[in-house]
Amino acid sequence: MARLIRTEKEVEGRYTEQWVVVEEDAAIDQWPAGPRETVGRPVPRVDGYERARGQALFTADVALPGMLHAAVLRSPYARARVRRLDLSRAREADWVLGAIGPDDCDALTLEPGFHGEPVAAVAVDSPGRAREALELIDVDWEELEPLLDPEEAVRRNELHEEPRRYERGDADAAFADADVVVEAEYRTQTVLHNPLETHQSVCRWEGDTLEVYISTQFIWGVRDDIAESLDLPPDRIRVICNFMGGGFGAKNGAHAQTFIAIALASQTGRPVRCALSRREENLATGNRNSTIQRLRAGARSDGTLVALEGEFVNAVGWKGWSGPTYGPMEMLYACENVRTLTYGAKLNLPPNAAFRAPGFVEGTFGLECLLDELAGRLELDPLELRARNHADRDLADDRPYSSKNLLECYRRAEPHWARRDAVRARSEGPWRRGVGLASQIWYGGGGPPSYAWVRIGSDGRATVITAMQDIGTGTRTAMAQIAAEELGLPLDRVRVSLGDSSRGPYASISAGSSTTPSMGPAVRAAAADAARQVIEIAAQRYHLEERLLTMQGGKVVSSDGGSWPLEEVTGLLEDAQILGKGARGPNPTGMRVLTFGIQVADVAVDVETGEVRVERIAAIHDVGRVINPLGAQSQVEGGIIQGVGHTLSEERLVDPASGIVLTQSLDAYKLPTIADVPEIVVELLDIPDEHLTNLGSKGLGEPPIVPTAAAIVNAIRDATGADVRSLPVSRDEMLRALREARERERAAAPA
Amino acid sequence: MEVLTPRSLGEALRIKAERPDAVPIQGGTDVMVELNFDRARPPALLNLNEVPELRGWSHENGMLRLGSGLTYTEAMALSERLRALAEASRTVGGPQIRNRGTIGGNLGTASPAGDALPPLLVYGAEVELAGPNGSRRLPLQEFLVGPKRNALAEDELIVAVYVRPLGSRQTFMKVGPRNAMVIAVVSLAMCVDEERNEIRVSFGSAGPVAGVVTAPLDEADDLPQRVAEAASPIDDVRGTARYRRHALQVLTSRALVRCLT
Repeated sequence: MARLIRTEKEVEGRYTEQWVVVEEDAAIDQWPAGPRETVGRPVPRVDGYERARGQALFTADVALPGMLHAAVLRSPYARARVRRLDLSRAREADWVLGAIGPDDCDALTLEPGFHGEPVAAVAVDSPGRAREALELIDVDWEELEPLLDPEEAVRRNELHEEPRRYERGDADAAFADADVVVEAEYRTQTVLHNPLETHQSVCRWEGDTLEVYISTQFIWGVRDDIAESLDLPPDRIRVICNFMGGGFGAKNGAHAQTFIAIALASQTGRPVRCALSRREENLATGNRNSTIQRLRAGARSDGTLVALEGEFVNAVGWKGWSGPTYGPMEMLYACENVRTLTYGAKLNLPPNAAFRAPGFVEGTFGLECLLDELAGRLELDPLELRARNHADRDLADDRPYSSKNLLECYRRAEPHWARRDAVRARSEGPWRRGVGLASQIWYGGGGPPSYAWVRIGSDGRATVITAMQDIGTGTRTAMAQIAAEELGLPLDRVRVSLGDSSRGPYASISAGSSTTPSMGPAVRAAAADAARQVIEIAAQRYHLEERLLTMQGGKVVSSDGGSWPLEEVTGLLEDAQILGKGARGPNPTGMRVLTFGIQVADVAVDVETGEVRVERIAAIHDVGRVINPLGAQSQVEGGIIQGVGHTLSEERLVDPASGIVLTQSLDAYKLPTIADVPEIVVELLDIPDEHLTNLGSKGLGEPPIVPTAAAIVNAIRDATGADVRSLPVSRDEMLRALREARERERAAAPA
Repeated sequence: MEVLTPRSLGEALRIKAERPDAVPIQGGTDVMVELNFDRARPPALLNLNEVPELRGWSHENGMLRLGSGLTYTEAMALSERLRALAEASRTVGGPQIRNRGTIGGNLGTASPAGDALPPLLVYGAEVELAGPNGSRRLPLQEFLVGPKRNALAEDELIVAVYVRPLGSRQTFMKVGPRNAMVIAVVSLAMCVDEERNEIRVSFGSAGPVAGVVTAPLDEADDLPQRVAEAASPIDDVRGTARYRRHALQVLTSRALVRCLT
């Protein structure tokens, strides 16, 4: 029966209350823990061959008949006013088929607030000629003084929202009573998403329907964005994304390129592609903004945290949102007295966008480094300090956790942590070695609404149909596994059809580590609905009791001995089909659904050149039931590699006077290469969350990147005694921290 | 854009004399970047890949002749004879770039960050240039006249580099912001020339051109300091001037350990 409920939905730490209609899925019990026939076993990607052969069609591969290519005129200044924009030369050129300005498209502006903001666009029949056509646009720029310094923005009250203030308990009193207080200022840099596929859309009018092929993390969000902006009925918009080359949080909406392509398609009557170059991608599609974190921790001499305080400045950029940099401080430890103050500075810099655990990556770096500085002052083992401050209950919302196995993660970290004496002993010459760790907390529960259908034909094969997207994480494979498990079918008899809003029901966003926990339960429910129908049919055909029948190994099996191949049962139906439908149930009421973990890093530091090498990272995470251990391991490896880049080499640099972005190419912006990748040891607890859905699975996209930077920097401290407080750990920063440590040592030495 | 493909050195020189605006291209690892980033739109490319005289290496009168079309992958195989050049070649780009990129390209581009330049400079290399009126030889140090500027006349081509084999006491080192596929923050080559009883050091990415410092063998102790002082680095997206000077000093000390012990 359809049930109307009020439920809480969380995406990347932002909670909303909403009404949802859900089908009763409480009747489906979770599977027992541990590997099943298909679920919980390592499975190569079901679309691996298609990808390897180049047959998978990405948005970059979409070439429609008569398609034009857009090129975008972007502001060369961080802040400017366009005194005059004249498109007439472009419009008069017979080879330029479309030219638009802010009058034609809301995504364009005459008052750009960051280097790279779109001002005008053209459409021509080849991408190269489209870029040439930009020279036919006449613009008078008036360059204006940009605001680039986040601290100055705070002083001038140039903020995206009112400062966020949070307090529980009495921090002042607790600091006054603390045996030890440590404080430090930490800084994190701006980093860029750099998905392999850049932001791109192809838009075409087909009758009264707008077709949008787009590289996106949220087909339905794109549909809503366009419907709202253009005042179109949503069902006249069809959004398609079959294969997608990554997004990391930067592709959650329609974005400027889609609106530019739509406006040019409307003007020219032709399909239009708007695809960003790598340089445009690194200018204008979002970033993890830089932060300044002034942190203080007070503890008793036994290590009990009595007070935490943080002032956070998020350098948000011209647009975007002030992320939860405060989150780890408020949520990670059982500390009664916590006070935070967070500013979201509005600057003439490219806008931020959600980026793989936004806020928490930055906040965990500050908090977990401060905790190691505290451990040093107290002469306590850092792992022991964390275990002593373990939170049994969520103090930020005063709720129980739906499940939490962080202490088990800590226990599993012990052998990795115990290696540190041996690692340090391998120091030689200028190379100093050490081990560090950091704890992880993040969301990842997903939520309703999300729907799936399962269709079984007379050939005994099943197709999962849902209008979700696989953003490259292996979602197709995980969904096929879940359906195969429930239907008792071998994996090769299950297909997954996704990626098209007009060919399937509403599905969740693929962001906030929510795809598997949102979609998996809906797929299982749909498969269970189909299985129920198969069993009802078999019971009638073979005169058996339904309760004796199950689906296993491609057969309908009776507990009293008989079995019938599925295709024999469904073969009765000829052209008829069995159609199952399923919905994601609500999240557990009054509980906090979170993910946990810990990483232990081994590093080597060349104390003369400042070079840092990460040699090994052990990652232990608690994310509920693991559907595909092979895919999960890839996710952890990817998160850690991205985390190593953020820690050591990646930084978007801006000219401090003009606000011009200097690191637009992948030559200037240093992503890690395979030669920078450490040995990665992945351990997932694989304990289902008994309160969460019919699967007990949480998301894993983001947790692996959360503690990496802090674990590496704590290992650097272990190796060298130097307190690195600013990311990336460039060689300059490493040498600065080493000098500071030497001076501190000299000052402390008896004269 | 026209692409002109001569089949011999003579033909290449004739074309170059007629079309001095044609940009020579070999591996394309520099030229194509310029084209792709729209920093240059030459009217013609002179494709030197089919000119046999520019390929490979040979012995000539006690010298080693390295064709300007010698790739980094080929140079890596010369580690017994030219260890520093082989070590430098190993740090260039990834395998695909090393298969395409040539030492002639490093000379033609004359970037202060060219990885092959410091080793060739410590070898005291001479560059052979050919033009319509024959060929001439120039010490590499005179050939490199400024940042991305060399002494090549517009009707000339770089044909080869000549180096004297100097034994095994030589090395190359490079600091980059990550472990592979990087343009150097600083690089350093060193070799011991026993005949002249001296040590030669050359450094890249720390001045407008790759610099050279020479010292008698018995004055090795001062070298780290002298190299750091000889550099004139700048701050850029890859590193600061202060760091570059510091790193040169450290690399020189380490190179001395490798070459003298």
